[in-house]
Amino acid sequence: MTNTLIILVAILIIAALVQITRVSELLSEIKKQDPNKVTDSNNKTQGILFLVVGGAFLIFVVWQMITWNHLLLPPASSLHGQEIDALMKVSMGLILIVFFALTPLLFYFTYKYRGNKNNKAYFFAHNNKLEVIWTVIPTIILTCLIVYGLRTWERSMNPDLSQAKIIEVYAEQFKWTARESGTDNKLGKANFKLVTDRNALGVDMNDVNSKDDKVIREVHLVVDKPVLLKFRAKDVIHSAFLPHFRVQMNCVPGLSTQFAFTPTQTTAEMKEQEGDDFEFVLLCNKICGAAHYNMQMSFIVETQEEYDAWIASQKVLSEKLLTQK
Amino acid sequence: MSEHHHKETFITKYIFSQDHKMIAKQFLITGMFMAIIGMLMSAIFRVQLANPGESSILYNLLPGDWINEAGALNPDKYLALVTMHGTILVFWVLTAGLSGTFANFLIPLQIGARDMASGFINMLSYWFFFIATVILISSIYVQGGPASGGWTIYPPLSALPQAIPGSGTGMTLWLISITLFVVGSLLGGLNYIVTILNLRTIGMSMKRLPLTVWALLITAILGVLSFPVLLSCGLLLIFDRSFGTSFYLSDIIINGEMLHNVGGSPILFEHLFWFLGHPEVYIILLPALGIVSEVIAVNSRKPIFGYKAMVGALLLIAFLSFIVWGHHMFMTGMNPFLGSVFTFTTLLIAIPSAVKVFNYLATLWRANIRFTPAMLFAIGTVSAFITGGLTGLILGDSALDINVHDTYFVVGHFHIVMGLSAIYGMFAGVYHWFPKMYGRMMNKNLGYLHFWGTFICAYGVFFPMHFLGLAGLPRRYYTNSAFPMFDGLSDINSIITFFALTGAIIQAIFIFNFIYSLFKGPRATKNPWESTTLEWTTPVERIHGNWPGDLPVVTRWAYDYSKPGASADFIPQDVPLKEGEEEH
Amino acid sequence: MNTAKNKALKQLLWVGMGSIAMFFAGLTSAYIVRKAEGNWVDFILPEWFVYSTIVIVISSLLLIIATQRIKKNKEIFALILSVFLLGGLFTYLQINGWKELTSMGVYLTGAGSNVAGSFLYVLTLSHLVHLAGGLIALFVAAIHVKTKKYNSESFLGLEITAIYWHFLSILWLYLFFFLKYL
Repeated sequence: MTNTLIILVAILIIAALVQITRVSELLSEIKKQDPNKVTDSNNKTQGILFLVVGGAFLIFVVWQMITWNHLLLPPASSLHGQEIDALMKVSMGLILIVFFALTPLLFYFTYKYRGNKNNKAYFFAHNNKLEVIWTVIPTIILTCLIVYGLRTWERSMNPDLSQAKIIEVYAEQFKWTARESGTDNKLGKANFKLVTDRNALGVDMNDVNSKDDKVIREVHLVVDKPVLLKFRAKDVIHSAFLPHFRVQMNCVPGLSTQFAFTPTQTTAEMKEQEGDDFEFVLLCNKICGAAHYNMQMSFIVETQEEYDAWIASQKVLSEKLLTQK
Repeated sequence: MSEHHHKETFITKYIFSQDHKMIAKQFLITGMFMAIIGMLMSAIFRVQLANPGESSILYNLLPGDWINEAGALNPDKYLALVTMHGTILVFWVLTAGLSGTFANFLIPLQIGARDMASGFINMLSYWFFFIATVILISSIYVQGGPASGGWTIYPPLSALPQAIPGSGTGMTLWLISITLFVVGSLLGGLNYIVTILNLRTIGMSMKRLPLTVWALLITAILGVLSFPVLLSCGLLLIFDRSFGTSFYLSDIIINGEMLHNVGGSPILFEHLFWFLGHPEVYIILLPALGIVSEVIAVNSRKPIFGYKAMVGALLLIAFLSFIVWGHHMFMTGMNPFLGSVFTFTTLLIAIPSAVKVFNYLATLWRANIRFTPAMLFAIGTVSAFITGGLTGLILGDSALDINVHDTYFVVGHFHIVMGLSAIYGMFAGVYHWFPKMYGRMMNKNLGYLHFWGTFICAYGVFFPMHFLGLAGLPRRYYTNSAFPMFDGLSDINSIITFFALTGAIIQAIFIFNFIYSLFKGPRATKNPWESTTLEWTTPVERIHGNWPGDLPVVTRWAYDYSKPGASADFIPQDVPLKEGEEEH
Repeated sequence: MNTAKNKALKQLLWVGMGSIAMFFAGLTSAYIVRKAEGNWVDFILPEWFVYSTIVIVISSLLLIIATQRIKKNKEIFALILSVFLLGGLFTYLQINGWKELTSMGVYLTGAGSNVAGSFLYVLTLSHLVHLAGGLIALFVAAIHVKTKKYNSESFLGLEITAIYWHFLSILWLYLFFFLKYL
């Protein structure tokens, strides 16, 4: 039924288009003019349309910026993230200035210089001075942006790791698992050949460092303490994405990657700021299969005391493996 | 190169034609056909994103097993749609449809040649492309569905059928199809380069070439240098998939099965892939910029401003495109220093791009603009190039990329700067050269309607995506309802889907206009746009060999519009210089 | 007009060879990148590949003599035929090389394989596929020589075949030294 209806509507639309075309051609025949000659009145209409639609586009952009501002990510909850946010503000400010300068100029020119059969265009083939100016100015601005960007990048990627708590994040279709490095802050060796149903991360239990490792279903971090996340993947490429901390790193099978950062706000503080259902989450940001859209793990940032209480309640891996036997 | 007329049968004229104009039309029609399929796919997945998990009348277009009992799209088939949409649009529409059409059509006509250097190779190029098309479409209907690992087909996902059903037969067909596609593109590219270098008519020095030809030449060089690397990249993937080698695979347990592969590196694939992948972006964009330069000059009735700077910018963009591929891989754990290098080279591209934009604006300044539908689309390209190009400054900056990498911000960015710019350029080209291709005019008013509908809907679709990205929403998500943090975004998704569906329907105006004008459009005159370039000196009848008598002799550059001292506001390239007249 | 067309055809080949070169550049740079990452099993290249290198170099030299002789309208059928046969011998030697590799325990694929070996197979196999095109061209050229299609004025087909064959030789030399010393 619906299909027939759709076909009917389609036929009607085509018929209407044929009629419009025929009428417009007939009209111009009556007026004794070439139907496809662009007339001065065409130019006027189109020029005005550019001004109107162009203006509407800019208003639409501003409207989006105002209406959807509250949907954007809150300010970064990590040390390096704050620097990234600052760089983002500068870059975004710059491109918005250029956008709001060039777009109106383009639409204004199209309107202002719309054709008229009595006019003649100005023959203006090149002007070295102008061209040098608009090559040099972007170059200077870009150089500043590049230098600023690279400094932020260097500092984000090379933080002081000496005090960092080490946690491993393990990605697989379609879930995350994490491993706390325990009191020695050292992760035991792991190998994909050791993966079994019970030892899901393939941790080598013969390694002394493995003894106090704890496998956890959610990650707890201490506020203002640096943490080094080490990533591994079991099957395909995943990408660990913690948008609130401005952290992202691919998890690649056969390769070890890492990212270090320092959280600056606790979950409780964020709940106060953003509402009760706020949570720091880890998402997958590299296409990894059917349930890619639903690969999540929560991160909880808390005070040292809260963390100590939580970590004490978690069983070490060796004990877990024994008890489940 | 012979002028004697063979007796042409239907088959040699329309199917196995060696005439560059017919081959161009074959590319155009195939490209348009694929564009419709690609667009329908995007309409379908947009419906899923606006109404996740619900059924839709549009799903009737899909193979039956893509839909679950509740009538909703299966998540892995959502990815299949995204993958095929990307593949079709990037390779079939904007590479073959755009370059294939306009390089074939314009190069001989604008340089004053009777045909391509080798008509036979040119014909082969189309038929490789055609077979690739058939294989790609048939892959939709195989068991497990078509390739579903994203158009970038990163292994291991694309290598392991256990990881996603589409990586089975569908992926095999994808690889075969792309291999044929690349061979076709290479054959085409060889021809374009050699034709431009050797077969220019007397007087057509490189400095007098229209910018379209320059853009197409540089595009062809990019293609010839980068596509073979995609082939070698794909070859290793084929070995990994079918013969069990370990180029890209290592330490994998999938569905509880431990694979024997050790020592491979998926990152190696990404390096090889993006070595093609980034030049590919410019293979798409440059022909559109070439077309736009031409259309803007003709309809502004002004020479393009800064011809040499425009050529220089094209060359610089092409050169830089080979040393920026790493900016797609900032988050792979690459050495931070390498990341810095790629950030530096990437942001440099902004300079020649800025020069191009300023030169377009300077061309419009004090012009006498004729708003043909082609001109509207050309201005649309400039607008999209500005809007989309600017967000590149965010994405190319490695530090900022950390949080927008692979989010909708990227989707918004490249759809505007590469998708819209190129597709507008393609529309501009079709409206502009339709009279030369088919000897008839397209309807102007329908063209206006088509442009405004498209222009409004396209920004309505892609601009809001930046906000989704800044809210942290990753791309290629079947739905964003799995995370409470994205709950507020459903309004934006509904708006995008509304514009996407409206925009898709509006394309029917174009298709109608195209088909109607093909048969019923008013007859074109020889030079309907009063243009200076050589293609408009050929007869309306479009003969084999292009010019009935001798080839035209070129005495001036392609942009003598509104030249002081001349009575008409344009002087064709084959009109000799008057005594005492300076070239420009 | 004809010379312009000839020049264009030759240039087509040159650009095409540039493209093929990029294909191998892609593969060999992947080889370098991959090797730098470690987990790489080194092995000695079988002697057969040395012989095949000598064979293809000789075939190229013979082809140079042949093109020189056709310019003086001298008989060259025997030369072309021997180049063709040497091409066949080259293929045979490569296959022998693979045989020896497998007896050394170096496999293209499977549980015992290493990427180093896989790369070697893929590189040599890709070269051989391109060589097949050269052999077909040589075969056609040989027939044309036999039927006296070429003379000192017109021998474009032979010239193009020769350029491509020399390209294959140089490509093999590159691959050989690349595999042996890198």
